[in-house]
Amino acid sequence: MTFALSDIITGILSTTIQLSPFYVFAGMGEIVSEQSGVANMGLEGIMLISLVTTFITDYVTGNPWVALLAALGVAGLIGAFFAFTAIRMRVDQIASGLAIYLFGLGISFVIFNTTYPTGLTPNYIGLPPLISNWNTVPYVGTIFLKQNVMAYVSLAFVVATAFFLSRTSLGLRVRAVGENPKAADNMGVNVAKVRFLATLFGALMFGLSGFYFAGNFVPGFQTDIIAGRGFIVLAMIYFANWKPYRTLFAALSFNIVYAAQSEYVALSGSGVASLSTLFNMLPYVFLLALIPIFGRKARAPKFLLRPYRKG
Amino acid sequence: MRTDTQGLRWLTTTAYNVLAIGLGILAGLLVVVYAGGNIEVALSSLFLNPITLAGGIQQIFVRFVLFYTMALGVGLALKAGLWNIGAQGQWLVGMVMVFVVYTFLGFLPWPVLYAAMIFGAAVGGLLWISVPTILRVKFGANEIVVTILLNVVAINFGFYMLSGPIKSAGTALGFPITVELPARFQIPNIVGGVPITYAVPATVAIGIILYLLVERTSFRIKANTVGENQETAKYAGISIPRVMAITMLAAGALAGLAGATYLMGFRYELDIGSFSTNYGLVAIICALVGKKHMLGIGFASFFFAYMTVGAESMALSANVTTYVVFAMEGIMMLGILLGSYLTERKFAI
Repeated sequence: MTFALSDIITGILSTTIQLSPFYVFAGMGEIVSEQSGVANMGLEGIMLISLVTTFITDYVTGNPWVALLAALGVAGLIGAFFAFTAIRMRVDQIASGLAIYLFGLGISFVIFNTTYPTGLTPNYIGLPPLISNWNTVPYVGTIFLKQNVMAYVSLAFVVATAFFLSRTSLGLRVRAVGENPKAADNMGVNVAKVRFLATLFGALMFGLSGFYFAGNFVPGFQTDIIAGRGFIVLAMIYFANWKPYRTLFAALSFNIVYAAQSEYVALSGSGVASLSTLFNMLPYVFLLALIPIFGRKARAPKFLLRPYRKG
Repeated sequence: MRTDTQGLRWLTTTAYNVLAIGLGILAGLLVVVYAGGNIEVALSSLFLNPITLAGGIQQIFVRFVLFYTMALGVGLALKAGLWNIGAQGQWLVGMVMVFVVYTFLGFLPWPVLYAAMIFGAAVGGLLWISVPTILRVKFGANEIVVTILLNVVAINFGFYMLSGPIKSAGTALGFPITVELPARFQIPNIVGGVPITYAVPATVAIGIILYLLVERTSFRIKANTVGENQETAKYAGISIPRVMAITMLAAGALAGLAGATYLMGFRYELDIGSFSTNYGLVAIICALVGKKHMLGIGFASFFFAYMTVGAESMALSANVTTYVVFAMEGIMMLGILLGSYLTERKFAI
């Protein structure tokens, strides 16, 4: 069996574009949240709960858009609670984030398991491709037109987040309360309110990521289905120095390495299959290898993780 | 009056902690009732099964050793303001190393090999954490990000080792599992029939030694200063890289060591089941609940060991997934954090 090189490249690019939005949505959310000074380490927990909500709502209503609303709803609720503990109660953000992760990891599977005790997963189809007869267009069809509309929405979010943070007055206030809350407060900015909004926006984006994960990664639902991919977003925005466009670049390059290694393993057959787990390490090792290059320049918002007390 | 306030403060903290734990248990019970389980059976499973059921006591002590060893390291790094989210990965690498040493240094005589397996596990954990340590100390890279990345790498590394180099030759179907360690490589029970191994007193001894080395010397102040204010630390002439490196490397070695005591004292063989656990996070909870104190962590670990065994038994009694335990732990941790805020507010000057 031979494979045309063009098909392989098309496949890799298609997978890259299919998987990246999951990281991009969450990345934009975490950037805005962290720029305001609040790091949400519970992102994967929120994603898991949104994901299981997506499955169940879609199954019951048959409408993925209702599922999206439901996913955003639960993500917003958890996000509001987390924001309240971090901002109003000044709880250690890393500890409470990890607690939310553990809670989400447990409760998402409990909900799934009690709803579908037989373990049979509902047949989740998700959103349709952008163009239904995408396969009539060579290359471009597989790479771009096959993707669902959310992939393009994620790109819009990158542009919007970059614009928001650098060009709008609320965006400047978000950065101000993360960089120097005391000065912002003196200038009349409501630090708690801006941080709350930024953290809530972050959580909603994690909900969007959870929604996108369903139907684009693993079919069905299982324990620990996101398997650390949510946490990787924290690494991506770190390398991107909290910049939206660079985060998009980090997500694309991570996924191109991922797609290339999985394509290679799939094509090489049994000879390489035993090494597939070693190849699976590649995208992560790739990110690690970037640290001495990009990690040096990374500069977190000055008041990241530091609660602010008025007066 | 100072002692009075301190007593009251301790009482308030304890009350909130009990409340938080109660909330977590309540959530678990709600799930059980929702799934159609019997509440009396659930309660007795939760509180009594760990001590009445066969194997319950063993489970408690296995987990106590596991949580305490890992949480000591997490707590040590936390003293210096460093978050080791990667205890899970270091523990996995520790377990893999036990079998790497057993498989590839099998020619060594028994007592040497036995010691080498335990030592190898600690070295494995230490090597695994040396990556974030070096990146943190040399490049200022965030240790949270790197330890998280390395957890995923550890799982894949473990899968690879299990599917090839340390796989048992006897499994024809290619199921990734190691051989079972023969009896002479297992950590024996202290008293014949009682399933409490020598790992328990050894772990307590490590806890006490660390207590003496850390809490009773100037190192505690050095680490705390580095953790709380690096400017002050610099001014006081404390070597920040040294303190960071010592606490991080010790944390990795301890998590690796926990891999040896878990495998050689209880599990005896390694399969992919161990990869989908979340003991590293539970260790973080134990370290926080134990207030980063080397002995306090011990009590917290024992409590969480008992609680997780009970909660798993409760879940099984009602045919609910044991994942409910994670949700309960999450609620408990949140409750404890909120409780400490309320305590602080009450006693704020």
